[in-house]
Amino acid sequence: MTKHQSPQDLLPLTPPVFHILLALAEEERHGYGIMRDVAQQTDGALQLGPGTLYGCLKRMLAAGLVEESGERPDPALDDERRRYYRMTSLGKRMVRAEAQRLAGAVTVAMSRLAGESA
Amino acid sequence: MTSESNPMGSFCRLYSVLLYAYPPEFRRQYGRPMEQLLRDRCRDLARSSGGLTLLRFAGQVMSDWLRTMVRERAAVWSAGRKPAKRSSVTEWAGTLLIYLFATTTLVQAYVIPTGSMEGNLLIGDHILVDRVAYADPGPLGRHILPYRQVERGDIVAFLYPEDPRETFVKRIIGLPGDRIRLENGQVVRNGRRLVEPYVRHIANQLDPYRDNFPLAPEFFTTPRGRDMFQHHVRSGEVVVPPGMLFALGDNRDNSADSRYWGFVPREYVVGKPLLVYWSYDAPTAELQEWTLGHVIDVAEHFFTKTRWKRSFLVPR
Repeated sequence: MTKHQSPQDLLPLTPPVFHILLALAEEERHGYGIMRDVAQQTDGALQLGPGTLYGCLKRMLAAGLVEESGERPDPALDDERRRYYRMTSLGKRMVRAEAQRLAGAVTVAMSRLAGESA
Repeated sequence: MTSESNPMGSFCRLYSVLLYAYPPEFRRQYGRPMEQLLRDRCRDLARSSGGLTLLRFAGQVMSDWLRTMVRERAAVWSAGRKPAKRSSVTEWAGTLLIYLFATTTLVQAYVIPTGSMEGNLLIGDHILVDRVAYADPGPLGRHILPYRQVERGDIVAFLYPEDPRETFVKRIIGLPGDRIRLENGQVVRNGRRLVEPYVRHIANQLDPYRDNFPLAPEFFTTPRGRDMFQHHVRSGEVVVPPGMLFALGDNRDNSADSRYWGFVPREYVVGKPLLVYWSYDAPTAELQEWTLGHVIDVAEHFFTKTRWKRSFLVPR
């Protein structure tokens, strides 16, 4: 199948990968569910296209950040079967590390830019 | 299902075809969920949003397609793995599909069989025609693709009105409402004598019909040509009716054009010649069909009879 990819290759996480992991933090979702949740997280700023979403999922699967959790219909949509994804423990560690890195960056930014805003 | 009955339905079908541009492995893995996702999104958007949002969404999906398709292909490339033998057939099928799509809707290849545009296009010029340029864009498409109106002086490929199986290439001289006549071989449009640097005159003698048009209908005009004479000549000038175009060849003395077979309906316009991709010196009859003789001739004389200087020339 796909060649092995080490998790370190994905660091720092790109915005799509980061938000996809966040979308899977609470529950497993199918592709469209992820897409909607990412749009919601970012106030509509990040609209993942099908190619971007599944390209990221492919790499994340290969790196072991997410795994497939079977196919089943989503009762809220229709009776078509959809492929669901869930986060692995490695994915959880990675997204936590990335969040910490971002939080650190935000703290620095706040202190440096504090004087500038009104 | 609502998404099947609106324009987004055809967009989803187009997307299923575009999926063939992805590497086969990727398409096998994710093609179906990607289609599914697009359908879901279209359905939700169609419920809540207007045409402009849908159009913007379609634009986003197309740019997503282009970027990720290149990315996934590059990934296969850099992994250095040759695609497995069995997949090469589907890979070629995908390429062929894209080629067919592109060649039938975006550009089309034609060969110039007559010398009526000589000076600009020679017999044996193989040209690519941009089919999008003059296509009717519809109210939404106008904003995304480079459509334009037919203008006076444009070289245009169109279906021959008397026999739409043939495609002609001529220059547009008159738009609807224009008054046209020829005076000693020179075009007078709306009372003004045209300066036409692209025109070639080869005959020494004036031909009253050809050069002082519209004088009197000649016996060799076609039914559409006679109709033009009966209904669209006013005080010695042809008046181009709505929805029609008046086209002349650049090789003005040896060109069967609107003077002889009447107007070109606007919807018969196929497109705009883009460039000459191959120019091969061969007689008219051989260019129209690939006979065995022509194949042998090309095989033997490809290098000497190809007019290399004309390759990728843009007709103007």
